[in-house]
Amino acid sequence: MPGKRPFTSGFASALLAIVWSGMASSGTEDAPVSFSRDILPVLSDRCFHCHGPDPSHRKAKLRLDLEDEAKRDIDGVSIIAPGDLDSSELWYRLVTEDEDELMPPPDSHRKPLTESERKLVRRWIEQGAVWGKHWAFEKPVRPPLPDPAAHPVDSFLRDRLAREGLEPSPPAPQHVQQRRLSFALTGLPPAATIKPGDKTDWPSLIESLLASPHHAERLAMWWLDAARYSDTDGYQGDRERTNWPWRDWVIDSFASNKPFDQFTIEQFAGDLLPDATPGQILATCFHRNHMTNGEGGRDPEESRIDYVIDRVNTTGTVWLGLTLGCTQCHDHKFDPVSQKDYYSLFAFFNSIDEDGKAGRGAKPYLDYQSPHAGHALKEMEAHVASRQALEIDALRSAEARFGKWLKKTVTEHSPEYRAWHPIRPSEVTSVEGTKFRVNEETVVQAIGPNPRQDDYRIAVPAPGEVSRVSGWKLEVFPHESHTERKLSLGKSGEFILTNVKLLVRKKGLSQVRDIEMKGAVADYEREAKGRKYGKVRDTLDDDPRNGWTTESGDSTKEHTAVFELEEPLTLSPDEELVFVLFHRSTIGDANIGRFRISVSGEAGETVRGLKPSPLEDLAKALPAKPGNLDGDLRKRLLSQFLLDDTDYQKARTTLDLASRQLAETKKSAGKLGVMVLAERKEPRPTHILERGVWDAKGSVVQPGVLPAVLEWPSEKSGSRLDFARWLVSPENPLTARVVVNHLWQIVFGSGLVRTPEDFGLQGEAPTHPELLDWLAVELVENNWDIQHILRLLVSSDTFRQSSDTTAALEERDPENRLLARAPRFRLPSWMIRDNALAASGLLNPSIGGPPVNPWQPEGVWEEIFMGGKTYIPSVGPAQYRRTIYAYWRRSSAPTFLFDSAQRRVCEVRTRRTNTPLHALTLMNDTTMLEASRVLAEAVRKEQEPLQSLANQILSRKLDEREIAVVLREQQKALDYYQSHPREALTFSTIGQQDSPPENDAPAIAAWMTVASLLLNLDEAMTHE
Amino acid sequence: MNESFSPLSRRTFLNQSGVNLGAMALGSLLGREASAASALQDEISHFAPKAKRVIFLTQSGGPSQLELFDHKPGLKEWAGKELPESVRQGQRLTTMTASQKQLILPGITKFSRHGESGATVSEWLPHTASIADDLCFVKSMVTDQINHAPAMTKFLTGHQLPGRPSFGAWTSYGLGSSNRNLPDYLVLISKMKRPSDQPLYDHYWGSGFLPSQYQGVKLRNAKDPVLYLRDPEGLPRHLRRGMIDGIGELNRMRLEQSGDSEIETRIRQYEMAFRMQTSIPELNDLSDEPESTFELYGPDSRRPGSYAANCVLARRLAERGVRFIQLFHPDWDHHSRLPSWCTARCRDTDQPSAALVKDLKLRGLLDDTLVIWGGEFGRGVAGQGKWDSPEAGRDHHPRCFTIWMAGGGVKPGTTYGATDDFSYNVAENPVHVHDLHATALHLLGIDHEKFSFRFQGLDYKLTGVEPAGVIKDILV
Repeated sequence: MPGKRPFTSGFASALLAIVWSGMASSGTEDAPVSFSRDILPVLSDRCFHCHGPDPSHRKAKLRLDLEDEAKRDIDGVSIIAPGDLDSSELWYRLVTEDEDELMPPPDSHRKPLTESERKLVRRWIEQGAVWGKHWAFEKPVRPPLPDPAAHPVDSFLRDRLAREGLEPSPPAPQHVQQRRLSFALTGLPPAATIKPGDKTDWPSLIESLLASPHHAERLAMWWLDAARYSDTDGYQGDRERTNWPWRDWVIDSFASNKPFDQFTIEQFAGDLLPDATPGQILATCFHRNHMTNGEGGRDPEESRIDYVIDRVNTTGTVWLGLTLGCTQCHDHKFDPVSQKDYYSLFAFFNSIDEDGKAGRGAKPYLDYQSPHAGHALKEMEAHVASRQALEIDALRSAEARFGKWLKKTVTEHSPEYRAWHPIRPSEVTSVEGTKFRVNEETVVQAIGPNPRQDDYRIAVPAPGEVSRVSGWKLEVFPHESHTERKLSLGKSGEFILTNVKLLVRKKGLSQVRDIEMKGAVADYEREAKGRKYGKVRDTLDDDPRNGWTTESGDSTKEHTAVFELEEPLTLSPDEELVFVLFHRSTIGDANIGRFRISVSGEAGETVRGLKPSPLEDLAKALPAKPGNLDGDLRKRLLSQFLLDDTDYQKARTTLDLASRQLAETKKSAGKLGVMVLAERKEPRPTHILERGVWDAKGSVVQPGVLPAVLEWPSEKSGSRLDFARWLVSPENPLTARVVVNHLWQIVFGSGLVRTPEDFGLQGEAPTHPELLDWLAVELVENNWDIQHILRLLVSSDTFRQSSDTTAALEERDPENRLLARAPRFRLPSWMIRDNALAASGLLNPSIGGPPVNPWQPEGVWEEIFMGGKTYIPSVGPAQYRRTIYAYWRRSSAPTFLFDSAQRRVCEVRTRRTNTPLHALTLMNDTTMLEASRVLAEAVRKEQEPLQSLANQILSRKLDEREIAVVLREQQKALDYYQSHPREALTFSTIGQQDSPPENDAPAIAAWMTVASLLLNLDEAMTHE
Repeated sequence: MNESFSPLSRRTFLNQSGVNLGAMALGSLLGREASAASALQDEISHFAPKAKRVIFLTQSGGPSQLELFDHKPGLKEWAGKELPESVRQGQRLTTMTASQKQLILPGITKFSRHGESGATVSEWLPHTASIADDLCFVKSMVTDQINHAPAMTKFLTGHQLPGRPSFGAWTSYGLGSSNRNLPDYLVLISKMKRPSDQPLYDHYWGSGFLPSQYQGVKLRNAKDPVLYLRDPEGLPRHLRRGMIDGIGELNRMRLEQSGDSEIETRIRQYEMAFRMQTSIPELNDLSDEPESTFELYGPDSRRPGSYAANCVLARRLAERGVRFIQLFHPDWDHHSRLPSWCTARCRDTDQPSAALVKDLKLRGLLDDTLVIWGGEFGRGVAGQGKWDSPEAGRDHHPRCFTIWMAGGGVKPGTTYGATDDFSYNVAENPVHVHDLHATALHLLGIDHEKFSFRFQGLDYKLTGVEPAGVIKDILV
């Protein structure tokens, strides 16, 4: 088997040669060509698609991925004749002028070989066509340090720089170094992690940051993206799940620096460990974090297969750096992984005791009570108590106002008072042709013809006597012209009202406002379950399959419905109301025959029921004195009064929100079902699925590992536990490399392999292969100690050097692969939010617990689900938790996270983009503004407000040029707000912050603009 | 939205790496925050484009071809009879009707032929019928997904699993911007009052593995038409301007020091953000539209957030050069009560869709705007529920459905492809979702075979790995 040949080619020298293809020159003309570095990638990219491992697309029965095959003779023609260029058909096919013979064929859409690639192939054949294995499939061997005296990381990087004729950069300024370190290890700025008086020598700083609980959160964020962790299912319905205790398990694991091999084993097979603890079982939720699909028409078995596939693919990406997804349908086109191999891996996950369902039926579950919910509960109880006190105060002062109002009302109230005002339509029209007559009492009568379905539009100029509308009433009357003197001209005399709408149109404007309605009640409605005609409430959706009818009742009597508006509507005289009554039922022929519409400006029970209103009852009770009013009536009048009392409503709403949140937190603190792995009693047989189709079962396969990566005895490949042990075997060539590459990416922004998800033939080669191997061996030999590797990386001079660049260096190494300077990159969006919270002091640093809802613009969830789900931002200290605790709805990730991982499938590569939408987010997000407000208030009284602001946000002082710019803008703002104190109050009343004292508002608002300006600086959001 | 692209660094990169741009180079180029877009055009513009932009009128839920376009008068004979197995050929059903007998429900609408082309359109779409001679009906669409989310994901991204770039993202990535004040890809969703059974996931307009600046930006009917667009209350425009000036000046000082061209990009993005704060409210403000606009698009067009109002906005976006404009109208999933439910969605969309085509034509925009109307699949010939009750509906059907296209180099007044007598299988000229994508890309001047992006070691294409082709017969 060629793959087993010892790696003899120029591998060692390849390690010393230049690996980055962009840096051209692969040494001198006679230097040995490296098969794995120079030749295999070319063969893979241009040839393997048709001449690779996948037999289904193989052309001419030729494969070039195996040495024996590539070097054999076909009909006396050598494909590759080592040392003999002229006899090598391969060479001829690469250079021929004959379009029919040229490879790759011009019509294959594969790029022809470049001149330098051809040269390499020529030299390789001339040098004897020495074969080898792809680098990533060879077990890493610790290479010697080029300079044993130097820090290992620097040793490799500097050696390479020296050979490139480049110098490393000088150290970055101290504040930059500290900031970089703090963000890299904790995701928070020094303002939150380094306290005055802390030791700030580099080793002490590293140790204190590694020991910080926030370090564990930072690493957990990496892992959550890779694990596609979410608080909901995804897909149709996107139902909620309560798997967050697993997120806390991840944080705890990183906090205790759990060795990565153990971390792996528990997540794959914690349930299979002897005497498994609840924590170990909880760990297996990793493989349940995939999306689940509860769509109505879906076969649950198809979904179950999807989940198993997701587990295999995730394992491939996260641990092995292999794109296994392709082998779901066919043998891999480039890497030595067959479709059979894929389903052998699949078999490890195929006997989970699950049935493909979603939502709350996605067994198996672990009953689990989180130890992390307690502090959230305590916090919330205290918050509710404080809001209760405020509500009581607010009620007391509102009652005083009510007393005055009542006194006045009782003296001025008219005995003729009516809550409802019939409206006189200016026009009644229909879409399908019904004609109408309106009588003196403003009753509208349909006079035919009687179309099967019709919409009535009733236009009314703003009714003079009511400038405020909080509800409207529809009376439906019987009439002698109707069938059987009932309610309509239809054959049955019955009506079905499918929908109603209320629009407001301002004179001269072409657009109308659509007025939302909160509820509807009727004196009678047919009983109906589901989407049947009956309930009047169903007239408020856009669904013609349900609606209001009184069919089962006495249809020779009049019937009434009352509709409550979402918000009371205040009309100006140039506005017009348009009521639309839709009759679009399935069978039809049920249009209302005779009706009248009235409106009321009273809030509360008046527009929620059909009884006389409190004010009407008061009119009846006249002449009354406030003192001798019936207690019940007084209560009704008070609750109506309170609905319109803004100050009280504010306190009440705040309390309601807090109580609601407390109830949810209580639920979270109880027993939760966390989705975990558990084997079913009867294992399922695993079949190869033809073309990857879920029900196209091919031959049966047994569980098994990937032999091309690491052969493993079959008696040790029966269970998930065996599989996990294989993954973290010291012999496994991939896992350790892939993991240290992730850690490198966390610290330096991009991996040593810039395709962290793909270490296969189509992935990029490492920029520093020896260093990657050295670190991989170091990880394994140090008991998979993650912190040990991180410590190594951040203690290097490479990490601490300046990131400033020059035109010459940019020209030479635009992607900074050689690290002649430190990388400079934008912080992930979650860190930008955490930074604002930390810099302002708003941050609630507690660890773990139920998810929270940070600020986001209104209506985002509602749009996706057409109102089916509502996002309510958290209140109290929960609002200021770190972003890792933000509720993750798969169909709508937190809106602040403008270019984060999507968490649909696993993602290990950092996304970084730079668009105007980010700018808008950072300028206008409530968290950013609230942080600015808090900062403004805090620094205002300081000796040097501007410098202390800069220190909080940028960890440094501004220089004179900068100060001049910022103070210019601050003055501009101050001038404006001093002459516009109301605006200052509005601007500075943000988030959960109360309005500042009126006198202070202009200054606070002005400093707030400065804080916001600084938070929006490139420097503030960048790993410098 | 591609101002971030810096030509200098790209050229530098290309010279040094000497590799092809279309695939690998971009992957790494984007890795360092630089983004490339319009410059790509030289690489991927393979033909003279007919269309410069796309308006995709997405009807989510699966409109019934049997009630709207695909007239099968012969089915009367089959009413209430069981669908022959020779027609069904093992077609999978959803679990909603899998246990039910497949009894045939003939289309319940009246059809007539319209225009000189004689296209068949039903009575439920009178306005669409009136512009039949401007449309190209494709009656032989095929997909391979039978449930909504996978089928819509396939229809819009070429693959049933979420995670691939959407058609719109590919387009904006490929063609880049022609408007400096608006995103290249905008999404408008009709506001409905009932919780939708088919949520409109943002991966439908997502950028997948393409950089996120190519994802669709939702233009919302809300206080914030684009998320975070509005400055906070109490902050006047001149102070916002000052803040952006200040940010720019300080960033420039940082740029001098660090030399990182990414800062330059950020400065420009803040400027663009400022411009968007004006250009989007301007776009949304219809007070400059004459009354005739609203008469053309129908009374619903006065109601912001309605499909009709969104059609007006689509035309305004086309006028402003936006590349890809995608409307979504939900709730076409008519499992029951076709006469009330399906007609409701027809009334929402018929007049405005037709008005949009007329309007574009009137303004000379139709020639270079490709309009596509359609949903993720069709509906089955068997009735769902009691077939002879007015309550009956139809289940999902992937093997055939109808879409229409207009403008942008598509032959007007044509009908392409045909189904069998049961509107069950395609009888003639099948058009797979991938073929539709290939054709649309072709009209935009892009060869779908060459238009790829390397991700996780593979060159991904919108049209996937199975063979797909341009439908030449419907091109002008």
